[in-house]
Amino acid sequence: MLPFQIQFKTGLPAYGQVVYSVKKAIISGGLKPGDKFPSVRTLSQELRINPNTAHKVVAALVNEKLLEVRPGIGTIVADARPSTREQRSDLLGDDVERVVVQAKKLQLDIGDVQQAIRKHWDLLS
Amino acid sequence: MNNIIETHNLARRFGRTDAVDNLSLSVPEGSIYAFLGPNGAGKTTTIKMLLNILQPTSGSAEILGVDSTRLGPGEFASIGYVSENQKLPEWMTVGQLIDYCRPMYPGWDTAFCEKLRVQFDLPLDRKLKAFSRGMKMKASLLSSLAYRPRLLVLDEPFTGLDPLVRDEFIRGMLELSGEGNWTVFISSHDIDEVERLADWVGIINGGHLKLAESAESLQARFRRVECVVGADTTRLPASLPPSWLIAEIAGHSVRYVESLYQPESSEAKLREVFPGATQISVSAMSLRDIFLALARTYRLSNPTEIK
Repeated sequence: MLPFQIQFKTGLPAYGQVVYSVKKAIISGGLKPGDKFPSVRTLSQELRINPNTAHKVVAALVNEKLLEVRPGIGTIVADARPSTREQRSDLLGDDVERVVVQAKKLQLDIGDVQQAIRKHWDLLS
Repeated sequence: MNNIIETHNLARRFGRTDAVDNLSLSVPEGSIYAFLGPNGAGKTTTIKMLLNILQPTSGSAEILGVDSTRLGPGEFASIGYVSENQKLPEWMTVGQLIDYCRPMYPGWDTAFCEKLRVQFDLPLDRKLKAFSRGMKMKASLLSSLAYRPRLLVLDEPFTGLDPLVRDEFIRGMLELSGEGNWTVFISSHDIDEVERLADWVGIINGGHLKLAESAESLQARFRRVECVVGADTTRLPASLPPSWLIAEIAGHSVRYVESLYQPESSEAKLREVFPGATQISVSAMSLRDIFLALARTYRLSNPTEIK
């Protein structure tokens, strides 16, 4: 089992989707500092992605200092700076994009969208 | 990047039939190359020429830098080959098969072989003839992976396998993914199983190579476009841009696949054809959807196309 959740979306490059899911798990606490991160081979086998893509994912996350390579142990989740409001807000990106695309398709304007969000926000408050 | 397989105008004729015609393809080292096409398109014939099981009528192929007709034990020790119709020595047990194959390959890795055998759930003392199709394919893959080949050639490996065995098969194949510059050439009539694995795609139909491109570039240039057209438009114009594939209209909704997508020019083209278009939506496509769109365009499944 992989320590993060991913639901592949049609048409988008696997690379970006995996990086996004891992970041989401790290920021939301599903992956904590010191947790072991799967090897390139395991990632590739579990997600059925190209090993080169899996390698790129790990390299990018190491480069962003979210993962750390420990000789003899493998890759672990790095000691994180606490996630900022901005980072957590970035996680909404995908969902917001979907809403905006849908709204434009329906020829709504930003006011309509804000109103719709407000309505749902109030429902859950 | 080096190419681990390269063919130059490769052709094979059976009687009056061109099974493979003028086929030039390059497989970059380190890639997982999906070689796709309908049954009878020439996939197996191509693979048999690559591995010197069949001689080309004309043209040539180079594997690991060596002309295919000169491949010898040295090269075959670096190539793994599993085919849908593989003949296994059925009277042997799994243990005997392993003992039989091991001395042929200097790179045979006994520990790795045992790991795969356990993973594949293949009992040492069972005879191959008692195996199901899936078990036989796993035994075949085991005997082709245990020497850690640089190039793995798989000919329709998934046909007739249940989903669990397909999964085991792919996991087993990916065990080699730690090796540097390890290459897989896999033929299939569908892209299903290799959708996110393949980074190169070649499509063959009627013996001709129709397309050979990296998955990245395919996904960059294909988009599904949908829009609503004006009330006075009820049918598609007779002539549409050649890059539009499988255009359809239903009611006032138009849908097509743009095969040369560029944000500005594609929208301009759309507005030129349908000045009153609204609710334009452009979405990225999976490799599978791209393959299906192309298949419909080439009429890949139409037997009259297969010469």
